[in-house]
Amino acid sequence: MDVRRWWLVVVFFVVASALPAGAQARRVVVYSALPDLETSLINREFTRRTGIAVEALSVAAAGALAARIRAEKDRPRADIFVGGSADFHAPLAREGLLQPYRSPVAREARISPAFVDRDGYWHGWYLGILSIIVNTERWDREMAPRRLPKPATWDDLLRPEFRGHFIMPSPVTTGAGYIFVAGQIFRLGEDRGWAYLRELNRNATLYTPTAPGTITLLERGEAIVAMMWAHEAIGARRVRFQPLEVIVPPDTAFEIGAVSILRGAANPEGARAYVDFLLTRTPQDINARYGFRYPVRADVEPPAGAPPFESVKFVRYDREWAIANMERLRERWSREIGR
Amino acid sequence: MVTTRIGRAWTGGEGRGLLADPGLTLAFLVGGGALALFVLYPTVRVLVYPGVEDYLAIPRSVRWMQAARNSLLSTVLSTTTAVLIGLAFAFATTRPDVPGRRFFRSVALLPLFAPPFMVAFSYILLFGRQGLVSRHLLGLDVNIFGPQGLWMVQTVAFFPLAMLVIAGVLESVNPSLEQAARNLGADEWQVVRSVTLALARPGIAGAALVVAISVLADFGNAVVIAGGWPLLATEAWFRMEGMADLRGASLVVALLMVPTTALFLVERYWVGRRRYTTITGRGSRLERPPTYPPLKWVAFAVCALMSALVLLVYLGVLAGAFTAVWGRDWSLTLDHWHLASDRVAALWASLRVAAGAGLVTAVAGILLAFLTSRALPLRKVLDFLAVLPGALPGVFVGVGFVLAFNRPPLELVGTPWVLVLALAFWHLPLGYQAAVAQLQQVDRSIEEAAANLGARGLHLLRDVYLPLLARAFVEGFSVSFVRAVTNVSIAVFLVSPGNVVATFAILNMIGNGIWGGAAALTTMLLLVTFASLGLARLVVGRVVRPLPAG
Repeated sequence: MDVRRWWLVVVFFVVASALPAGAQARRVVVYSALPDLETSLINREFTRRTGIAVEALSVAAAGALAARIRAEKDRPRADIFVGGSADFHAPLAREGLLQPYRSPVAREARISPAFVDRDGYWHGWYLGILSIIVNTERWDREMAPRRLPKPATWDDLLRPEFRGHFIMPSPVTTGAGYIFVAGQIFRLGEDRGWAYLRELNRNATLYTPTAPGTITLLERGEAIVAMMWAHEAIGARRVRFQPLEVIVPPDTAFEIGAVSILRGAANPEGARAYVDFLLTRTPQDINARYGFRYPVRADVEPPAGAPPFESVKFVRYDREWAIANMERLRERWSREIGR
Repeated sequence: MVTTRIGRAWTGGEGRGLLADPGLTLAFLVGGGALALFVLYPTVRVLVYPGVEDYLAIPRSVRWMQAARNSLLSTVLSTTTAVLIGLAFAFATTRPDVPGRRFFRSVALLPLFAPPFMVAFSYILLFGRQGLVSRHLLGLDVNIFGPQGLWMVQTVAFFPLAMLVIAGVLESVNPSLEQAARNLGADEWQVVRSVTLALARPGIAGAALVVAISVLADFGNAVVIAGGWPLLATEAWFRMEGMADLRGASLVVALLMVPTTALFLVERYWVGRRRYTTITGRGSRLERPPTYPPLKWVAFAVCALMSALVLLVYLGVLAGAFTAVWGRDWSLTLDHWHLASDRVAALWASLRVAAGAGLVTAVAGILLAFLTSRALPLRKVLDFLAVLPGALPGVFVGVGFVLAFNRPPLELVGTPWVLVLALAFWHLPLGYQAAVAQLQQVDRSIEEAAANLGARGLHLLRDVYLPLLARAFVEGFSVSFVRAVTNVSIAVFLVSPGNVVATFAILNMIGNGIWGGAAALTTMLLLVTFASLGLARLVVGRVVRPLPAG
């Protein structure tokens, strides 16, 4: 056998793979935590309006993108980080990985200052609310014959009939689970909040390590009742025809879906144009239509099948306190709930 | 003292020193340099990322200590069953008189081809609370989530690795040794125990090592099946994905390296004590006598049962690709295939990357196995670095490569190369272990004969070892290729816009609940992988002469 033949193959590979990767000018590179569909529809519209090409990387997990941005901080590969709760953007800003910008569109459209970072590091452009979700197929089979009313409040989740039938995303590893825990503490105070969580734990079969995992298992009928983002469940029902019902209880909490510009972005003007664009009507409409997420603009139709945002009663959620106490609350969860 | 020892090492025992042989020196520098650059450097970059106070806080974290205990437990359980089943498969597939052995071998390779998310999901569909098998067939109400489900899934996922390593060694066991034992009056059970299994011991130990560190680092199955049961590998991933906590993830990985290092040392101590030489260079044309029947049928039963399980899982995925709404509306449809065909570019990207990774793994694995079998300086260090990547979760390697190669002088991030290299060196232990297991079967006398005829250093590698290592090359390439095609955890960090690989697209589809499209794309990926692997084996089979009989 001839060794040289192998070396030729290896050399060929080295040369062939080193050739590409020429940098393109004038395009905007976007890291998107939104699904492919919404991302590509929004980007196509942006290119049509501005003539600026977009190269997008869509990852279904905001945390993975944020970690990637941290790892790449010496030489950022993207201009824009879009999607995911502001809870993922705020720490990046604190670490100096984002650059501030104050979009004129936010003022013109009278977007509530509560949805925009005080220092301009991130702009909120959509909203998601936590809700109770019921698998109606299993409910009709197993709970309805017992004449149980569907759960309407957070306290209803404690009913003993739900023992072994409740799931939610893990507070330790997901944003949704954590916002729920913080929300309960804001609702009941720290001591009674933990008492509530311990009691709820008796009903829980599982805390899914990723947020979409909860929806998947609920669809499969692995549980009957869940706590999860309303828009995920509405999407599952309307797009995939899954038997899910969304119930928005009073004193719920919400996430602010954000967009931010990376420090050291190769195309800062393009990035600013992108942020301006996301605050206009079209992208928020696309996001409401296909992703069932609430727009931050009052002049955009709310998602079909979701209650009007104004009708929802929210708990007084102190976002800064929640972010500052994240480590401590998660540690306490691990110690007291232990899973 | 030290100087003398180093001096002796550098001039070499038995006249095969580094300085005496420029070819060997070059190989040593290339092999050592590659390990330093692509294994050691990224690892160090990640490990020094957290501060000292972060490390000191580990024992105080309840969740991490839980995760550490659970990881050890699942490793012991899954490794034991995976190696036992792998041994049964290796035994059955290397005996010509076991019925269906080719079929068993093909089926046993299937789990290696599967992107982990899909398989685990298929399990939920089949064995979950509403599972096709568990509920509708058996009428059970079982909870698959947690340690028991993970044990099952990991056993199925990793027994093929054990089979590959053990079969490679069993195949080269010379039947004349077994015959000799029989002639000396040993009964069949004694022959198997004291000859076959004894000779396979390096293979079994190597298999246990590879499987154990794969189980420890496995997050693909654990992320779906382990549920709320914390494990180190998934914990690293969740820190990253859910909390964007690079520091925490690096810490967890540091914890993970403790048991892996221990495993490594145990394996060295146990296997390294005896040499097993069966290829004597004289060849053997001896026919194997029929296999001891009870043994044959036990192996057959284990293989049949496991094969049924593996096939069932695949049918689940296939069914999903043609089912309108998975779990709801069971009518047949081709819609998912239209959706999946939009992602064909990702399929090609996967193949290119995986071919490169497979090639690098196989070549580097053989080169390093050769180097560590010599009396060279630092050979223990080289050996350790060559198996170290198996201890690292993919997430760790992905982040390590980003931290290490995102700036000059080696600015690889953003090119397809970074993914190729990360995957190649992550899978290096597979290529390396396969090559080492083969090398341990080679008799020194062949080499000495060649040396007497004037072959030295690299010539030895080329003319004596490479033909014998052809099998190791094919195995190393195949396993690395397949694992690269199915990898998710590294791809998540190293794909760049415009360079997306198929598993990444599948992961996104699953994340967004597009199960049908994901199943279709997975099926496409499987077909393309099988086809290209078959093609590669055909080409390699022509270039490389087959092994001498044995």
